Amino acid sequence: MALILLPLVLSLVAWLLPSAQTRLFGLIASALSLAWSIVAVCYFKPTDHLLVDFGLRFIRFSIDSLGFTMILLTNAVFFLVFLSQFTSNITQEKRFTALALLMQFGLVGVFTTNTILGFYIFWELTLLPIFLILYWFGSFEKPRALLQFFLYTLLGSLAMLLAVIGLMHATNQQTYEGLLVADLNVLGNTSTLLMGGFLFAFAVKIPLFPFHTWQAETYTKAPTAGTMLLSAIMLKMALFGLLKWVLPIFDGVATDFWRWPIISLGLIGVVYGAIIAIRQRDIKTLFAYASLSHLGLIAAALMLNDFDTNQIAVVQIVNHSIVSIGLFLAAGIIELRLQTRNIEELGGIAKVAPRFAFWFAVLTFVSLSVPFTAGFIGEFFLIKALFSAHALTGFIASTTIVLGAVYMLRAYQAPMFGPTKIAAFADLHWSELIVFAILSVAAIYLGLAPQCLTDFVAHSLTQPTH
Amino acid sequence: MDSIVILFISGLLGLFAGMSKKPVASLFIASFGLIGAGLAAYYRGSYTSPFSSYAAFVPTQGIVIILLCAVTLLALLGGFKRYKNDDEHTGDYFGLILFSLCGAILMAQPGDLMLFFIGLEILSIPIYVLVGIDKGSSTSAEAAVKYFFTGSFASAILLFGIALLYGATGSFQLIEIQSNLAIGIWQSPMAMIGSLFILAGFIFKIGAVPFHFWGPDVYAGASNAVLMYMSTVVKIAGIYGLINVFGQVFRDSYFFWIDLISLLIVISMFYGYITAWKQTNFRRLIAYSSIANAGLMLFALADIHNSNIFLFVGAYALATIALVVINLAVNDDSDALENWEGIAWKNPMIGIALVIALFSLAGIPPFAGFFGKFSLLWSAAPHVPYTAILALIASVIGAFVYLRLLILALKRPKVQVRMQLSIEQMIVLLLSSIASIGAIYFI
Repeated sequence: MALILLPLVLSLVAWLLPSAQTRLFGLIASALSLAWSIVAVCYFKPTDHLLVDFGLRFIRFSIDSLGFTMILLTNAVFFLVFLSQFTSNITQEKRFTALALLMQFGLVGVFTTNTILGFYIFWELTLLPIFLILYWFGSFEKPRALLQFFLYTLLGSLAMLLAVIGLMHATNQQTYEGLLVADLNVLGNTSTLLMGGFLFAFAVKIPLFPFHTWQAETYTKAPTAGTMLLSAIMLKMALFGLLKWVLPIFDGVATDFWRWPIISLGLIGVVYGAIIAIRQRDIKTLFAYASLSHLGLIAAALMLNDFDTNQIAVVQIVNHSIVSIGLFLAAGIIELRLQTRNIEELGGIAKVAPRFAFWFAVLTFVSLSVPFTAGFIGEFFLIKALFSAHALTGFIASTTIVLGAVYMLRAYQAPMFGPTKIAAFADLHWSELIVFAILSVAAIYLGLAPQCLTDFVAHSLTQPTH
Repeated sequence: MDSIVILFISGLLGLFAGMSKKPVASLFIASFGLIGAGLAAYYRGSYTSPFSSYAAFVPTQGIVIILLCAVTLLALLGGFKRYKNDDEHTGDYFGLILFSLCGAILMAQPGDLMLFFIGLEILSIPIYVLVGIDKGSSTSAEAAVKYFFTGSFASAILLFGIALLYGATGSFQLIEIQSNLAIGIWQSPMAMIGSLFILAGFIFKIGAVPFHFWGPDVYAGASNAVLMYMSTVVKIAGIYGLINVFGQVFRDSYFFWIDLISLLIVISMFYGYITAWKQTNFRRLIAYSSIANAGLMLFALADIHNSNIFLFVGAYALATIALVVINLAVNDDSDALENWEGIAWKNPMIGIALVIALFSLAGIPPFAGFFGKFSLLWSAAPHVPYTAILALIASVIGAFVYLRLLILALKRPKVQVRMQLSIEQMIVLLLSSIASIGAIYFI
């Protein structure tokens, strides 16, 4: 119970504390949540379900091993965001700290709730803090881009709300277990439509190819902390929803209908995102399109709904969080020090800031899926799964490795080793150094021993019936 | 009955206490009256018609009276700043609002069409006066006259409908009308036209399309303090009356009027939200938003056995009152939306209440507005699925109207001016915020 409510309580405390202590409080609060979840996971048997009930009719919680993984990931992401932004102005702001912790509460709720309506409510709850964070701390000159982000998300959410209402009416169930048992195949086309509602919401959030237009601009104009939160954890809600809720529940007619459309969109995103990323000059926009490319792959592979692939997808989800925190942090550091993100204006940073260059390189390699990193495990097995589905999909998916190398090396090489164009560059602060170190260790550990994660989550992934 | 008597007496006392030139005295009397009326309704649970010869069709549910009293209390507290300054009329405000509330209670749960009509008039006439209470202002006078004429016209149509229905069924009592209609009389043209005319009267009162034209002008002409009352209590009473009359009496002709209602819902929502988008005047924006919300309220008629409107009207009233209180506090003189720029920075309480109220109106969880909309759509969706889909699309537009206002209010000003809220405004904002969050426990 404390695992779920702690961020909410801390968020309220953050409002009440004097502004001078905000910076330290944010760090301590997120560390506290992380420590608590680590302790809790030590006492947790992967086969268990922790039930938490606050006496609400439509919202109940049940934490299984997948939920625990996501809680750990969430709490770790928030800790790293607070730590990495320790020197920036944003953590001084009471509003940011409180809203970020509120968002953490919403995310933990999404990952642990046991009822379909609870899933929707927490899904929407995360929208309020991120909207305010983007508005107050982002560099949106006109609210148009922000409203576009909101319009897309809201349209998606409302499609999901309709699907939730329809699903609850059609099956007369609202809990996860109840919905798993309910046979949706008898609904025929209705189940396809209902799944479409969910998929639309997820496609906007992930984002998949035609629904991605909000992403680049929002990422680019958001503050570094906001971009990290969005890409490292918020988008994972959609993948989690696909993995935990939609695929097991709609297993059958509906999944068979949507499988190839979604895989196609995901793969179009893989190639399209990569090609656009190659053309970008703004390093943050480049990483945003890279994110589109990587997430398209995960979404496509998830649609295969294969037990082994789903386990690996969790590894890749964690890996993408690691990579996106690292890369957007690197972009943020460059922007903070030099007030520019244009690759063409950058060059020779490695000479003045060798430590930054080293750790950025490690994260770049993780992103490139070099063996012995989590990226390799994730991408290799996902591409393998897509190959066994169809040779063509496998081939298209594998272009991500080649194209990824092109844009990532371009983003790394020119600013770091190109001809010197910058005057001074302060090397990493200790807080940033710790973040990079933690991320790299985690990525390499997962690359060497992914089974510690796959075995853990295997208990809560359902074995597909087909 | 007890509630109405308590309200009437406290209204009278409040009216006379106004002569003492101590506004607080009137406020205390009115507040005690409202709390007493709410408590009386709570302990009685339900009661039969005040006029024993008219058998009540639906025993008045205490919850409706409690809701009406609570909303009125918030509106009185929120508008107190205005009543206090208007020392010539302080007592009149309290007296008129409490008298009007008596009518609202009669109207919300009618047992008899004559009684219902009397309730409606008791509700309306004090509001005509309240709208025009600012005698010096020409817009206020215009609004009052406009409201009076259109309102009388609507009353006349309603009365005509009641007369036709009487002609068709031979009774004013809802229970008899229902049993007469059930044996097939509802197919007679007289009963059909009568029910449509009654519907028109209701639609006018809750302000949905196509009888919405009075809304924006009257809202813009009335003062903030009166707007708080008339944009909430009238609608709540109207929609409860509508549910009781249509959901019970005309339930056999459900398929005759439900398509019409669906059409009204969709048009009201799209019209209200799209028009609200371009408003530059706060009270007009609230007026168009209330047209759209009136459309949403009509969803309660889709499932007549289980109409679940309480949360929605409660959430709507809380959020609207919070917004109007904020407008009263910072922008009472000009009413232009541009003065809203950066107001969230003037006082933390304003900021928090504003975010909660606007997100609640936009229907975003975990605030009351979402749960209200959800419970409405939850019961309506199986009956009118396409209307529900269109309504959700319209509410995306609605969310933008409110977000636009939010973005305006959250904009960081160059020079930060702090302002103090008076104690009763703080109470209103605090209560409405807490209630909007606490609604999660009611679903």
